[in-house]
Amino acid sequence: MFVAYIDPGLGALLWQTTVASCVGFLFYLKKSRRWIVGRSQKLFGLNRKKTESALVIPAGEKLKAKTDVR
Amino acid sequence: MSPITPSFRDPAGGCFSFQGRVLRWVAADAVPDFEQFLQTQFARQGITQQKIISSRRLEEEEAAALRESPGLDAFLAARPPGALYEHDRIAFPSYPHEWPPEMLWAAGRLTLELARAALADGFGLKDATPHNILFRGTEPVFIDALSFERRNPGDPIWLAEAQLTRTFLLPLLANRRWGLLLAEIFTTRRDGLEPEEVYRWCGPLEQFSPRMLSLVSLPAWLSRRASPDNRKLYQPQLLANPEKVQFILESLFQRRVRTLAALQPAGQKKSTWSDYMSTHSYDDPAFAAKEQFVNEALREFKPARVLDAGANTGHFSVLAAQAGAEVVAVDLDAACVGAIWRRAREQRLNIQPLVVNLARPSPALGWRNRECPSFLDRATGAFDGVLMLALIHHLLVTERIPLEEILQLAYELTRSLLVIEFIEPQDDMFRRLTRGREALHASLNAAVFERACAAHFEIVRSLALPGTQRRMYCLKRKGGVR
Repeated sequence: MFVAYIDPGLGALLWQTTVASCVGFLFYLKKSRRWIVGRSQKLFGLNRKKTESALVIPAGEKLKAKTDVR
Repeated sequence: MSPITPSFRDPAGGCFSFQGRVLRWVAADAVPDFEQFLQTQFARQGITQQKIISSRRLEEEEAAALRESPGLDAFLAARPPGALYEHDRIAFPSYPHEWPPEMLWAAGRLTLELARAALADGFGLKDATPHNILFRGTEPVFIDALSFERRNPGDPIWLAEAQLTRTFLLPLLANRRWGLLLAEIFTTRRDGLEPEEVYRWCGPLEQFSPRMLSLVSLPAWLSRRASPDNRKLYQPQLLANPEKVQFILESLFQRRVRTLAALQPAGQKKSTWSDYMSTHSYDDPAFAAKEQFVNEALREFKPARVLDAGANTGHFSVLAAQAGAEVVAVDLDAACVGAIWRRAREQRLNIQPLVVNLARPSPALGWRNRECPSFLDRATGAFDGVLMLALIHHLLVTERIPLEEILQLAYELTRSLLVIEFIEPQDDMFRRLTRGREALHASLNAAVFERACAAHFEIVRSLALPGTQRRMYCLKRKGGVR
């Protein structure tokens, strides 16, 4: 049962509505950015590059591997 | 029989106390949502963690028996059909006008945490007021379980946000900025401070500070420009994309969490009494003797509930809590009470500190003075032990309260033990308070004090504190434990 019984204020409600509109716009900006980044990665193969770079063993690890061999 | 006084603002139901039980009547059309809420993971977790009060639906037979109880029959018959629930009882209810800012802040944090967590289960808070919170020791508990309602997934507005601002954020801001006490705010205003009211207190430059802009100035300017007859403003503006609604609400809660974090009361506030432990008039042996005397009384009487009246920085409240008692510590100095709250929370001690002046205890407030009972209504006969340490001279001299009256109050508060410190008029602090009015207390001495005590108490033992004009008394209430 939804019955709003508290005073929602006037200025405070208007301010919340204004901020909600701006944040709603940000939501689309964020979504668009995600879409553009996703498309770019797909177009320029950035995903592959990222995967390859993730496979590079950090310097410390290399050193450890060498030590282990000894 | 005292009349049943339920909470009445929410049309979905109300809470009331009957024969020592806390019951809630829930209107029939609100029951399915309430049941669903109780089944959510968030509610179950909140109840387990003691952040939300537990609720048990009464079985039909139990509810039917209650409906026929004298006193309750007429009350329930006057309400539409619904279900009855029982909540856990909080030992000593307290209200925002008795809290230090630290407790209001903790209550606000819990309110925001729950409102945010409820979103994930499709619920929201329909109100955000400190009156939804009571304290178990130092920990806030959300008691108005019916405040959670199923949200419209397309609604990006949280209607209770304005109330959160009025009742948590602006009082904390006013306390921090202008030193306004919460008692000054909440004794006269149930719903806190309006942005327009705070706006008038701000200087022209301050109105543009980032914090004032979003909490005070912009809402005040917008309300001036808006037409109060614009009904469209209050119609829900639903969005088709629930993901966007979630994003907007999440952002709102994040902003409010940040605002609340910025309003956290500063620790180590200075006040007249905050340095008492380092400036008091006892030397080490005298203080040790006082400590030992109190400890012995606590060990002997083992009070389950203790009131520390004039608790100051809470040294003896801590002793009582460490001895296993559930303590309510009252003092008029909000800075001291805030310090007790921080210390008790840090050490996980069962102490509920309250800003209460024993000479002017909090009055009954609200509609017909029945929404928040007075401090004395709640405290009378509620404690097994009362500590009145280094307090009596303030009441006698500063407040001009007769000795017999002070002892009568102690008799009404305690069920068994009273540990009281008598201070001779020759004591330095006593003299400092009299300011030339020594003649008023010239006849006061230990023998007079003991005679006055004998009217209500048996003297179990007493001890003169070495090197002082002070004497400790361990008294047992006459007429046995009530």
